[in-house]
Amino acid sequence: MRKAIAVVLSLGLVRGMLVGMAGAGAGMGVTVLLRAALGLSAWNPGPVVAIGTITGVLAYLAGLGAFSYWIRWALVAEPSKEGERHRYGWTRYLCVDINHKVIGIQYMATSILVIMVAGALALIFRIELSTPGRTIMGPGLYNRFMSLHGISMVAATLIGVSGLMNYLLPLMIGARDMAFPRLNALSYWLIPPAVVLLLTSQAAGGFDTGWTAYPPLSIKAPLGMQLMLTAFYLVGLSSILGGINFLTTIFKLRAPGMSFFRMPIFVWATLATALLQIVFTQFIGMVLIMLLLERLLGLGFFDPAREGNVLLFQHFFWFYSHPAVYIFVLPGLGVISEIVPVFSRKPLFGYKAVAISTLGIAVGGTMVWGHHMFAAGMEPYLRIPIMMTTLLVAVPTGVKIFSWLATMWMGKLKLDTPLLFAMTSIAVFLVGGLTGIPLAIVATDLDLTDTYWVVGHFHHTIFGGFVFPLMAAIYYWFPKVTGKFLNERLGKLHWGIMTVGFFTSYLPYFWLGLNGMRRRVYDYDPGLQPMHLVATVGGFMIGLGFLLLLSNLLVSAWRGARAPANPWHAQTLEWQVTSPPPEDNFPLPPQVVGSPYSYGVPGSVHALMPPGGAGEDGGKEAT
Amino acid sequence: MAVIAHTAHKDKLAIHRLGLWLFIISDSFLFLGLLFSRFYLQGVRRPPEINQPLGLAISIVLILSSLAAYRGETAAAYGDIKRFRRNILLTLGLGALFLVGVGLEWSEAFRSFPPSTGYGTIFFTLTGFHAFHVVTGLLALTVALLPGQRARLQEGNSWGVEAVVKYWHFVDVAWVFIFPTLYLVS
Amino acid sequence: MPKARKHLLILAVLVLVATAALAYLFLQFSFLPIPASSQASTIDKLFSAMFAIAGFFLALCLIAMLYAAIAFRRRRGDASDGPPIQGNVALETAWILIPLAIVIGLGVVGGLALEKISAAPEESELEVKVTALQWAWLFEYPEWGVRSGELRLPVDRPVLFRLTSRDNDVVHSFWVPEFRVKQDAVPGRETALRVTPNAVGDYQLLCAELCGLGHAYMRASARVVPEADFMAWIESLKQ
Ligand code: HEA
Ligand code: HEA
Ligand code: CUA
Ligand SMILES: [Cu+2]
Repeated sequence: MRKAIAVVLSLGLVRGMLVGMAGAGAGMGVTVLLRAALGLSAWNPGPVVAIGTITGVLAYLAGLGAFSYWIRWALVAEPSKEGERHRYGWTRYLCVDINHKVIGIQYMATSILVIMVAGALALIFRIELSTPGRTIMGPGLYNRFMSLHGISMVAATLIGVSGLMNYLLPLMIGARDMAFPRLNALSYWLIPPAVVLLLTSQAAGGFDTGWTAYPPLSIKAPLGMQLMLTAFYLVGLSSILGGINFLTTIFKLRAPGMSFFRMPIFVWATLATALLQIVFTQFIGMVLIMLLLERLLGLGFFDPAREGNVLLFQHFFWFYSHPAVYIFVLPGLGVISEIVPVFSRKPLFGYKAVAISTLGIAVGGTMVWGHHMFAAGMEPYLRIPIMMTTLLVAVPTGVKIFSWLATMWMGKLKLDTPLLFAMTSIAVFLVGGLTGIPLAIVATDLDLTDTYWVVGHFHHTIFGGFVFPLMAAIYYWFPKVTGKFLNERLGKLHWGIMTVGFFTSYLPYFWLGLNGMRRRVYDYDPGLQPMHLVATVGGFMIGLGFLLLLSNLLVSAWRGARAPANPWHAQTLEWQVTSPPPEDNFPLPPQVVGSPYSYGVPGSVHALMPPGGAGEDGGKEAT
Repeated sequence: MAVIAHTAHKDKLAIHRLGLWLFIISDSFLFLGLLFSRFYLQGVRRPPEINQPLGLAISIVLILSSLAAYRGETAAAYGDIKRFRRNILLTLGLGALFLVGVGLEWSEAFRSFPPSTGYGTIFFTLTGFHAFHVVTGLLALTVALLPGQRARLQEGNSWGVEAVVKYWHFVDVAWVFIFPTLYLVS
Repeated sequence: MPKARKHLLILAVLVLVATAALAYLFLQFSFLPIPASSQASTIDKLFSAMFAIAGFFLALCLIAMLYAAIAFRRRRGDASDGPPIQGNVALETAWILIPLAIVIGLGVVGGLALEKISAAPEESELEVKVTALQWAWLFEYPEWGVRSGELRLPVDRPVLFRLTSRDNDVVHSFWVPEFRVKQDAVPGRETALRVTPNAVGDYQLLCAELCGLGHAYMRASARVVPEADFMAWIESLKQ
């Protein structure tokens, strides 16, 4: 018994959460006492909970052991790496571990968990939407569920892209780990308290503002709002720290011979994503704190009665959140660029243009934030320039799509699940991008804004740029990560159900939007019901797809067929090491000598592996 | 922050430097956003009650502290531990003095333009965010004085000192932008 | 390589057919509610242009992909790689320049359309002050000094809406789907919206910005009536 308790307590997550709860309680207690001593009303939930959150998160991190190395570093010259020796087995994933592969898996698991919860919420409110009027819930609960769905999915996406980049980046550039492994661990461990805060917000009245949290509505919202803002802030902080780490890793730790134009496109995508993360996340962090200050201390940023301006929030929110949508999709588009050449057995068509278009999207996407505010009373002189910059982003995006198609053209397409999912991604993302064009044009956006057209647009772009590429990535890299194959037959079923379900669910949104279906309402005109019903059915098919994925993951991890080092005969570096990769990836650095995608070029390889560290073949020929 | 890679000591230093610079660049966008808010909400308005002499005084204190930090860094690079400690202690003292100045400023501001007013909102937020950075800078400087860093200095590794001093300069430069936007423009 | 040419030819034919089919679909079934303002007809034209462009690119990309999946799928037992084509400068330039030209064109057309729908007309405008509050609409006709909880407009007369929300209220948004245009009502500032209703009928004004519990029901009736009926209504309000 005692031994069992000791084992459970040795898990960082458990320890951290317990200490964190104690820390939160202590922080709240001290604040209450202090307030009483100062003669204020002792229990004012806002400030008391705010202090409790801060002390709680700090205590949790300390209890977890996220700071232990740095504390030792402050005290002794050569800090021991005590506690960082490798654990084995699943307990490793519940402790602070500084190996990027472990951290990547931690991120991915968290992301999928949050997607499941947020998706389940969506299915619940889709039931509400299946008939006009009240079906199973009233407007209050609907707004709360819808808001929690939105922000959780956004968080899950940010977590998911961090996971992909964490696992793959060092492997793809031939590094043994990230540049700052302990910072990397800290970035991950900021996420669990964010998830906990998001969930507890529902016990504190929830929040009903949508994920956008526009004031003044968010100033008036219940305490749950505050917890959501703190959670969002933690995810942002994690994102900034991650970005610094990715950039340093790319700039400093590439294997010898890996010039910029020999990097896989996924690495380019990571570069662009990380740039966006470190620059723009600061603005959302700032504006979230402003909102908290206005709620807690009565500052007047957004209150017109005190010279504040409601639009200041919207400007800053979108100044981050638009670049953020490219943070969501760039890694996913990178995944598609990895998979398409391998399964077409042809080089990536126009590699350089694709690489540069990645940066082009990121840079172009920085000056378009105002397209979310065309109808918001924004400064009128900004409308036309922002319409123009928004439209220009279509060009580099088009380059990517056309290059993928040209890669497949005349290839030898091996229609395995990764390629099938990549093709669904392309189709879905294309529809999402093309439906963004009428949104970018001011005159038509004035009709479409805040309708289901927008909802349809972004579910397409996010599914096409993140969710479906994530599926493709899982089927593609699962053999690398675990050394086992996923079940191909189940995979194809999963693909079919999800693809059909997706279009069933989301194509009707465009029709609905054109016909007067507003966003964020639980009741609507009865004439719209048929399409809503179709959409709900589609939503459940997507949910079923997720369940199939889960069962495939569990069954295959348990008894999947053994996978060799390079089952797809790919050329990028991660496939040149064993499956799963060795603890420190490359015992000796590989020597990069050529393009990562030169399929079909006789005798070409991406890298020469030092003897002893190489996989079975260099991915030259297919079998 | 140790580095696991195929890297020699010199490369490690370059990695650490790049990481620090990226952090500083990233953080400077926070201040950019704050400065933007000031002009967006208040234009170039400035209440006459603002205490310019006090503002100037604390600016000078902060610049002096940066100077001391610089001398401390040079001393550390040459392995002169005594001079390093003296200068960093001086930096800490000046930094603390700056915070006292901000405190005085705040108590005055509370009377003339409290945080619930338009200008007060901006004033308290900008100075507050900056003061928070000063506090973290002071903590970092203190860490540089702890035994771990001292032992590393004796081995000729002054990276820790360099890092906190760079950060301190950054905090100082941020103030160089904040001071005129809050106290001078009109 | 004649075989390569054959594939391209088939693709071109399929894309043309599909684009035509999509265009027919869009024209045959109007996906929009009836237009009831002069702004709406400008906007609907823009919609048609964009649906045509989107239809073409949709057809092009989807058909190319499906065609590749079928025609270029790997045959059983074939273990060789595809041809090592790295790229094609002319083609890549084309697919940068053509979309570039299209989006610049769309930007110009879109900008002109925006000018057109928001320009002040020559005739005198009917001014309506709109106050949005949680959760109701208030309409004021300063010309006659009357107020009402429902919106009535004379047909064919340009209207200038001046929208606000109160300082302690939240953001709302004014939308009549048949008018096509939308404008937020923001606390602390006045925003403007121009509409020239041109079809008599009963429409609904919907609040399009999430504003709390009553958002779904923040609606008001918006009726476009002949001039004479409108004046009669104003008279009845005066009493
Ligand atoms: C997740 C990723 C993502 C991506 C990649 C995009 C991509 C784009 N988005 Fe989207 N968008 C969102 C996520 C995303 N968006 C979200 C979440 C919202 C709503 C937020 C909220 O309010 O809650 C939103 C909202 C949104 C709005 C505001 C709507 C409103 O509220 O009124 C606008 C307006 O301009 C817009 C435009 C665009 C455009 C022009 C692109 C372009 O980048 C698309 C470019 C791609 C293509 C065009 C297709 C491929 C190109 C070709 C085949 C070339 C040929 C094409 C032409 C010549 C046209 N989006
Ligand atoms: C990554 C982003 C993402 C993803 C994947 C989704 C997925 C889904 N979304 Fe979401 N959505 C958003 C991001 C996303 N959404 C955002 C940002 C908003 C805006 C919010 C706002 O306006 O503020 C939004 C808004 C939004 C709306 C508009 C609400 C409104 O305006 O009133 C709707 C309506 O139908 C909707 C539906 C769905 C559905 C049916 C799914 C489905 O695909 C979900 C599929 C189901 C699952 C993935 C779950 C499967 C799991 C189970 C069945 C088992 C459950 C088990 C356990 C929990 C253990 N979403
Ligand atoms: Cu008012 Cu929604
Ligand atoms: Cu955007």
